[in-house]
Amino acid sequence: MRKTVLHITGRVGLYILLTAASILMAFPLLWMLSTSFKTLQEANAPKIIWVPSEISLDAYRNILTDSDFIIAYVNSTFYAGLALAGTLLSIAAVAYAFSRVNWPGKNIVFALMLSTMMIPAQALIVPQYVFFNAIDWIGTFNPLIIPGYFAGGAAMVFLLRQSMIQIPIELDESAVIDGANHIQIWWEIIMPLIKAPLATVATFLFIGYWNNLLGPLLYAQTTKLYTLPVYVAQLYNINNATQPWPTIMAAAVLTTVPLFIVFFFAQRFILESVVISGMKG
Amino acid sequence: MKQHPYIYTLLWAFGTVAFIALSSYLVGSLARFISKLAGQSRQRQENTFAGYFFASPWIVGFLIFVVFPMVASLYWSFTDYRIGTPSTWIGLENFIRLLAADREFRGSLINTLFLTLFGLPLQIGFALFLAVLLNRKLRGERVFRMTFYLPVILGFNAAVLLCWRLMLNAGNGIIDQIIRAASRAFPPFGWLNRASIYVVEIVNGFFLGLTNGNYTLLNNVYETGFPAANRVPMWIQTPLWTKMSVILLMVWGCGSMMLIFLAGLNAIPREILEAAEVDGANNWQQFRKIVFPLVTPYIFYNLVVGMIATLQIFEPIYVLYRDNQPLAPSAYSMVYYLYQATFRFNEIGYGSAISWLILVIIAIVTFVQFRWQNRWVEYDLI
Repeated sequence: MRKTVLHITGRVGLYILLTAASILMAFPLLWMLSTSFKTLQEANAPKIIWVPSEISLDAYRNILTDSDFIIAYVNSTFYAGLALAGTLLSIAAVAYAFSRVNWPGKNIVFALMLSTMMIPAQALIVPQYVFFNAIDWIGTFNPLIIPGYFAGGAAMVFLLRQSMIQIPIELDESAVIDGANHIQIWWEIIMPLIKAPLATVATFLFIGYWNNLLGPLLYAQTTKLYTLPVYVAQLYNINNATQPWPTIMAAAVLTTVPLFIVFFFAQRFILESVVISGMKG
Repeated sequence: MKQHPYIYTLLWAFGTVAFIALSSYLVGSLARFISKLAGQSRQRQENTFAGYFFASPWIVGFLIFVVFPMVASLYWSFTDYRIGTPSTWIGLENFIRLLAADREFRGSLINTLFLTLFGLPLQIGFALFLAVLLNRKLRGERVFRMTFYLPVILGFNAAVLLCWRLMLNAGNGIIDQIIRAASRAFPPFGWLNRASIYVVEIVNGFFLGLTNGNYTLLNNVYETGFPAANRVPMWIQTPLWTKMSVILLMVWGCGSMMLIFLAGLNAIPREILEAAEVDGANNWQQFRKIVFPLVTPYIFYNLVVGMIATLQIFEPIYVLYRDNQPLAPSAYSMVYYLYQATFRFNEIGYGSAISWLILVIIAIVTFVQFRWQNRWVEYDLI
């Protein structure tokens, strides 16, 4: 009897603790949403206003009539979409080589690829900038998109390889007997079987591209080419007497909506695969 | 063509796909030819072709975008090279300037050390705490897990970071307002708040002293004495607090570490814990004697990955401090400084030296961690 009482209080305590932690973790997002519906006076008020008494859509009206914001939104969509397509396809091809084919040098190349995960991408920005400058790519989307087409992202290749390696090899063998070549096996047999891992990798890549700040900062040098993170970061200007916080937060909400949607649909796969790709070492 | 950026890049994208297809075919054919020369079987030759054909997007990309830039930057790190002017060989001068004369670089090194020393343990500890809570197999555990992971997805978008900037304002920022209200309503919290402010400012004052070579800020904190009753943290207003905001963001984004820990906790056999409970071990003893040793490999993994990530922190510093000039250097991470120092005057040679120094530091730190792991990481306990 005493034990069950203890057990129940323990559970309740745990729930309270977890709920408190969840509120803390989600608080910035809730505050962002709340601020975006405030008026400028409410946002800068000296007292805490948890939820605005009257929902004001001024901020959304401001940001949606800002043509630079719309351009940035279209730019981000174009950049993330085009980069995602090429990266996903090339990663799937490379993962096929590392999981379904036996070739001399496979283990060496694979080890080399895994070791590149230790190289921080930022350590390469300086020479890459010079290279892109030399071929006249600065001020275009190319430096943000084209490198991904060469299976950018060793961790993602690893993730797909882990899924491909689990498919029974007999499938390939019977396809070979039926006269299929490797490209057919890859595209018609393997790819349909790994839709879920592909969706996961696509989600990770999309999040990475959508959030990328340093790349667009270096290469998209005119307002016409700004992506969302660069443009939204500029909205805050320390020289302003008062910051247009509701407008900035409305821009922030609109920027994060695609991330929410993607995460909502893919969360089950994401949470599992963080562990798979994390446990390689 | 550049006036139409979308069309321009679309054409380049198609061209790249064609280039990759062609180069893959050539690499594959070359590999098959070598395999034929080696006198291998027909089947083996075909596999060699297919393997290199499919792997070559990565191989070619690795050569173009990793090997070539790294070799070039190694050369440039020994030269004085700015975009638009020819490079001149200056030997080790860049490295000497970096290590001996560049105060901002030394500052960024010390800041990164600070984040690693104080931020990383907090981040790992909080992740482990959340994972232990979640591991109790509660109803609705998935919703909690999702919420805790959400900051990893959203947290590094500049938009969300701007919301932190709003919340961290000292005057009417929500965080300080809550602290103020809580201190007034509940005096012990106020004391705790003031004591933490004191400790934070002394520690930060000391580290800033290391950076600047003079300890006036530390002296000021010391002479002011115990913080007044109405004091709140000055998150983004003084050099004493800039790094603490970054640590706050690190702890907030501990979701991936938490998932790794959850996997580790799941791998612990229930029978061991049940046996310990029968023997009368309480929760804390179970954690200390059984769970903790068994998750040390996961702590090690998070430490290695977390340290590399800490060295690379960029977005929070850009969004929180970019235009806040006299204040910003007190928060510079190494990668932020790399960006700042290189592209301020397009000093490619100097930037290359910084890049290589960062690479060497990461390599050394990782190597040392692997060498020391057998002192405390417990493998093969189960």
